[in-house]
Amino acid sequence: MGYKKIKKDQLKALFGEFSKDYSLLVPSRSKGHVSFNPWDGDSADFAEWYRNTTIPPKAMFFPPVEEMLRFKKGEEGYEIEELLPGEGTQVIFGIRPCDARALKIIDILFSDTYKDPYYLTRRENAILVGLGCNEPCETCFCTSLDISPGESGDVDLFCTDIGDELLMETVSDKGEDLLSKMSGVSDASGEEESKAKELGESVKEKITREINTSGLLERMRSNFENREYWEGVSRKCMSCGICTYVCPTCHCFDICDENNKKDGKRVRNWDSCKLPLFTRMPMENPRHEKWRRIRQRYHHKFEYYPMNFDTIACTGCGRCIRECPVNVDVREVIGGI
Amino acid sequence: MENKLKEEAGKLLKEGKVDYIIGFGKGTVKFRTSPLITNKEEDLDNLVINPFIANNLSRYPIELKSRVGIVVKGCDSRSLTSLIQDNKLNREDLVILGVPCEGVVDIKKVADQSKAEIDQITDINREGDSLAVQVNGSSKTIPFRDVVFDKCYGCAHPTPLEYDILLGSEVPPSLETEKSLKGIKELEEMDASDRWKFWKEQFSKCIRCYGCRNVCPACFCERCFVDVNMPQWVSTYATWQDNLVFQLIRTLHVTGRCSDCGECERACPVGIPLRSLQRKMVEEIKDLFGYEVGIDKDSPPVFTHYEATDPEDFIK
Amino acid sequence: MEESTWEPKVVGFLCHWCSYAGADLTGSARLEYPHNIRIIRIPCSGRVDPLFILRALQNGVDGVLVSGCHPGDCHYQSGNFHARRKFGVTRKLLEYVGIEPERVQFSWVAASEGPKMAQVINEFVEGVRKVGPNRLFKDEQ
Repeated sequence: MGYKKIKKDQLKALFGEFSKDYSLLVPSRSKGHVSFNPWDGDSADFAEWYRNTTIPPKAMFFPPVEEMLRFKKGEEGYEIEELLPGEGTQVIFGIRPCDARALKIIDILFSDTYKDPYYLTRRENAILVGLGCNEPCETCFCTSLDISPGESGDVDLFCTDIGDELLMETVSDKGEDLLSKMSGVSDASGEEESKAKELGESVKEKITREINTSGLLERMRSNFENREYWEGVSRKCMSCGICTYVCPTCHCFDICDENNKKDGKRVRNWDSCKLPLFTRMPMENPRHEKWRRIRQRYHHKFEYYPMNFDTIACTGCGRCIRECPVNVDVREVIGGI
Repeated sequence: MENKLKEEAGKLLKEGKVDYIIGFGKGTVKFRTSPLITNKEEDLDNLVINPFIANNLSRYPIELKSRVGIVVKGCDSRSLTSLIQDNKLNREDLVILGVPCEGVVDIKKVADQSKAEIDQITDINREGDSLAVQVNGSSKTIPFRDVVFDKCYGCAHPTPLEYDILLGSEVPPSLETEKSLKGIKELEEMDASDRWKFWKEQFSKCIRCYGCRNVCPACFCERCFVDVNMPQWVSTYATWQDNLVFQLIRTLHVTGRCSDCGECERACPVGIPLRSLQRKMVEEIKDLFGYEVGIDKDSPPVFTHYEATDPEDFIK
Repeated sequence: MEESTWEPKVVGFLCHWCSYAGADLTGSARLEYPHNIRIIRIPCSGRVDPLFILRALQNGVDGVLVSGCHPGDCHYQSGNFHARRKFGVTRKLLEYVGIEPERVQFSWVAASEGPKMAQVINEFVEGVRKVGPNRLFKDEQ
């Protein structure tokens, strides 16, 4: 697959074309924080300021609130109306390698024993256009988790910002298909290819902070009972849900039915294992104490998930570090074990 | 101030006067601090006092349930006193180390003024009334007071009113109240339906992370009303209607205990201007009842007390 | 079309000892008051948490009336004094956020004030009628 390129000032026209056939989502600052929003029809300069969004792309496949079904009491029992996602295709433009990997990580879970139709339909109907990082954030540590900020095999089409142009590389058939529909595309020269590769390498070097993953499973296991350590780590945590909700791999949810006497709906919504009532049951709450909840979250990501699915459920995006009001740092927590 | 703090904190632990020290520690990210809660003397070396000490540490003593030495700025000390007024904490269990505060720097404002992204700022140093900012290899000097949090303007009590050890010299109150009420004034100028639209839009962003609730020292309920499911007052999921009801009721429950420390707004990951709600209530309480929270630890909280002359012009 | 046949639906939180008894007296005296009000009996006006008011509005009622004993006459000594302070701030916040002030009303009505209860409810319902149906919490706009 040869490299192609497109000039950045032609992006607006390109987005216009995409919007005709697809639901196009691009990074935007219009809501007071960086998020993937439907394209506003005008701005296409996000590459100049975009680092990463606050809410991760998982929200586009596994929304914070999702109506699953509606039911109505009829004469002969309940009539159920399933609300599966529609067939329209979403194009997500500008997804970072860490977030793309995160989607692959939670794909495994959502297609495990029970194949989640809500998540999987959206995943199949989406085209991911990745954008490589030219400058890492202070909070990034993807390199210690085998993720490269300058390339990605987890998207459909991968772009690198080489100045005035975006270099593009197809990764999957969907990506090739999308590329063939794009106008304003030209072939990239060998020089431009090497420039992109160099950029990728230099970004890797700029990421200096890392998380210690050597012998991780053994270290996690042997420190499980270390109550003193976990109490120390969790003292400043305030048990909100910010880290879990901004994490691209966290996936816990709650399902509730809300109804009045005649009809109602079943809704799935994000839930957080950090919140005190997450494990509350009629008889007891096994994670009543804060340190148990913090311990459980790190073990889930760094021990149980690798045990079950062969991959650490963390991609080094750094959002949890950036958004935590009290600066609980996963690199520190894991480093101290 | 930092050295004095480390010395005093060390003494308190060594002499067994407190079980824990709660202070501002070095953050793992530039221009941030992180609460440092420790009973070990060797950790005290990480205590800092710098222009970025935004955290309100007064939410921690209740959880720790022991004697603590706590570091507070002006706004935090009023939150702490509010908890004493509410009988959630005993004054005798606290050794208050007061930090007279000239303002806390809002890194977003520094980024805006330097016309750069936050990650491009490499260093910030306080030099008298200015900040020397290193961005992308070049230096800029910005007036310090231009980039402090909105809440810092018009701060009437920058020096803690209740303390055991004062770590620096007193700071006079600021007189720029108008600037801290900017968001509120803008909203008051809109008409009612525009205001509702504004809040509807803001709360469509809310993901119900409860960062605002958990960071707030005044939210000390063991079981919040949103967590009650018999009856289910507010849906557990994040629709804008429920998000708005949650925040409005939280505001009303916290009214009279809120010292406008601004942590709720700082914690919010999606940037909802929560101070425009909370600070409005602080002003209303002053207006209606002449009450300001956290001034006198012996005065009763505003809603456990009443006067025969309370305004009732709105009651038929 | 819908507008002309719309009748306001309002909820009244009336304290058991004074206002509820007052409303009862209104009935016994055969004084008419609008059928638009649904009365909820509470032990004391101090029981009312602003949450009830907002929940009622969220569920679609067009207005909320809260009524209690006159200051000094509270069966529980001070419930209405605390309520007075609470309502003072509540109405300020609701107005600030954009909820029409005519939708939320407070009153002191004693057990003997049957006519006053009728008048209060009447005026309240007319006020709500003027501001129209409550579309605040609807999704479409």
